[in-house]
Amino acid sequence: MHRRYFLKLLSKGAFASLGFLSCFSYLRAEDSLEYALKGQDLIQKKRYKDAIAVLKKAIAADPKSDWAFGLLGRAYLGDDKKAESVAAFREAVRLNPDDSYSRMVIEKITQKPIPRIKDKKRPLTPLESSAHMEEASMLKRIRSKKGLGYQLRRVVIDAGHGGFDSGAVGPSGLKEKDVTLDLALRLDQKLKQSGRIKSFLTRSGDYYVPLSDRTVTANQFQADLFVSLHINANQKRSAKGSETYFCSEKASSAEAHKVAALENSVLKFDEPYKKKPGYIDIEEILFKFEQTLYWNESSRFAEVFQQKLESHLPFKSRGVHSANFYVLRRAKMPSILLETGFVSNPEEEAVLKQPGFREKIANSIAMGLL
Amino acid sequence: MPRFLPSFYIFLFLLVAAAFICMAGPCETAASDVDSIIFKGADYLYKEQLEKAEKCFKEAVRLDPKNEFAHNKLGIVYAKQMRFDDAFKEFLLVTKLDGKNTFAHKMIGILYLKKGEMNLAFDRFNSIVKIDPNNADAYYFIGAIYNFRHNQAKAIEYLKKARDAASHEADTHYRLAKAFHNADMVENAMLEYQRALEIKPAYTKALNEIGWIYYNRGDPDKAISAWKKTLKINNRDRDAVYNIAKAYNDLALNAAKSGNRAEAIKYWKKVISINPGNKAAKYYLNKMLPG
Ligand SMILES: [Zn+2]
Repeated sequence: MHRRYFLKLLSKGAFASLGFLSCFSYLRAEDSLEYALKGQDLIQKKRYKDAIAVLKKAIAADPKSDWAFGLLGRAYLGDDKKAESVAAFREAVRLNPDDSYSRMVIEKITQKPIPRIKDKKRPLTPLESSAHMEEASMLKRIRSKKGLGYQLRRVVIDAGHGGFDSGAVGPSGLKEKDVTLDLALRLDQKLKQSGRIKSFLTRSGDYYVPLSDRTVTANQFQADLFVSLHINANQKRSAKGSETYFCSEKASSAEAHKVAALENSVLKFDEPYKKKPGYIDIEEILFKFEQTLYWNESSRFAEVFQQKLESHLPFKSRGVHSANFYVLRRAKMPSILLETGFVSNPEEEAVLKQPGFREKIANSIAMGLL
Repeated sequence: MPRFLPSFYIFLFLLVAAAFICMAGPCETAASDVDSIIFKGADYLYKEQLEKAEKCFKEAVRLDPKNEFAHNKLGIVYAKQMRFDDAFKEFLLVTKLDGKNTFAHKMIGILYLKKGEMNLAFDRFNSIVKIDPNNADAYYFIGAIYNFRHNQAKAIEYLKKARDAASHEADTHYRLAKAFHNADMVENAMLEYQRALEIKPAYTKALNEIGWIYYNRGDPDKAISAWKKTLKINNRDRDAVYNIAKAYNDLALNAAKSGNRAEAIKYWKKVISINPGNKAAKYYLNKMLPG
């Protein structure tokens, strides 16, 4: 069945069975009405080819006559021209969405394969020609990569916080925003040097970027992965180590929930997405499916990153967790959030100050990407 | 065995029978032929009167158990009632009645996707294009799945087949555009986004992406005007709001960096007008404006 039509049919509300009311509109096109009546008569006599000819005249006299299109659909169907029949019925439904009968016949015919009507050739527009040229050169390149599996091509690196939002602050004054920016710039440099991944930054200086802007940047560049960099904090000074988060509907633990609440605290949540009940939307199914895939991929990326951090940093590994992070939620691609160390822990704060140590962190993240 | 049923049993029988009729009463139509009953059911379905539609289609398959169309429609009614297992059974039955019923195959594929069974769905859609090489929907879903699997070339190939089999589907043009966009084929992306918009002028997702193409080409004005078009269609489109806010924020920051205070203030005010809760704009405006 026609997908758009199918969606419409699932979502539409009231329909009258046949267009009785709209019959009056035919009065203004008397010729059309006359031809259509003749056509109807011919259909009853099973003279389908004659009916088609007459009904085409009816339509020429009144191209808005859904009734004539419906009859034409019936005549074509009688003549076993299914594709033409469906096209005529579709036009009938387009002109009169309340025409349940035509709708039903389309669905009935298109349950099974029908032949296709060939589109007419026409000259290309300038955009079409340049698109053709682009395609010829680009597709060759893409196809040559076939079989290499999933390759990251574009990554957006998000330095957490910034500007008036310092993020967490350590006992000796080290600010999360400064560490995350330095890490992001180092990581960006490494990826650019590798030449294999294009990287983009959500901020490149000490200024505040709203959470909504950060994922917008990821969407802007059609990124394959969004990595948000953060430094953890805890009221307990002894808390230490690195951990990786991905987005999920429910937090994996009460602790994870707290971390998300802390990172989200800068904003008030938007109203949740409202869904219509009793509505099967195929795009919605695909969207949900896609989101689940992203979250699964995010969880795999998170595992890889955490493993790299664990093997290359002297930090204790606190593992992979999931929670509902605003900054991850709105991304239309796999996205993760790294908390590399606790600024609230005096020992970790001390190492996080060292450029050499930051270089190590950036290196281990880059290893997870390349 | 008693020759007469005791009246109590007769009463009980009538009670049960009455209850049964009330529960699963017949299709509300004077007609008794299957086609009329199906038409009545379809009409109820279009009017979202699902219980009435269900009764009609049940009646139709009772009278004509091999009626594929009635089974398909019953499956749709079930799916709309969130009774996905029942729906699945109906569609499966249809494919047993006739393996060429591509609609039933398609619905099975969609229900697999709904269950998260991507590979089963993929196989099912592939079986459809073997039966019907013109099936736009099957190509569409295969293309979408290739995209999920990060196979750009195949995604583009199949979405193009979907487009060529049914060029009037806005969703197909949009998804193909996204696949092109993702593969850095911006000209093709632009073309397909525009085609989606030609079919469905209110396709805001396409407008929003066109905005990014302009923006990344260094034309924020055209980008903003595309997103504003979205807001005219749906003034609560959050993507458009955030995109415009980001564009103005960027312009403001650049102006501030180059020392153009008045320009920066102008853009941050624009951010506030489009996204009043924007913390960045609020903060910087407070800092820059005296008092
Ligand atoms: Zn943070």
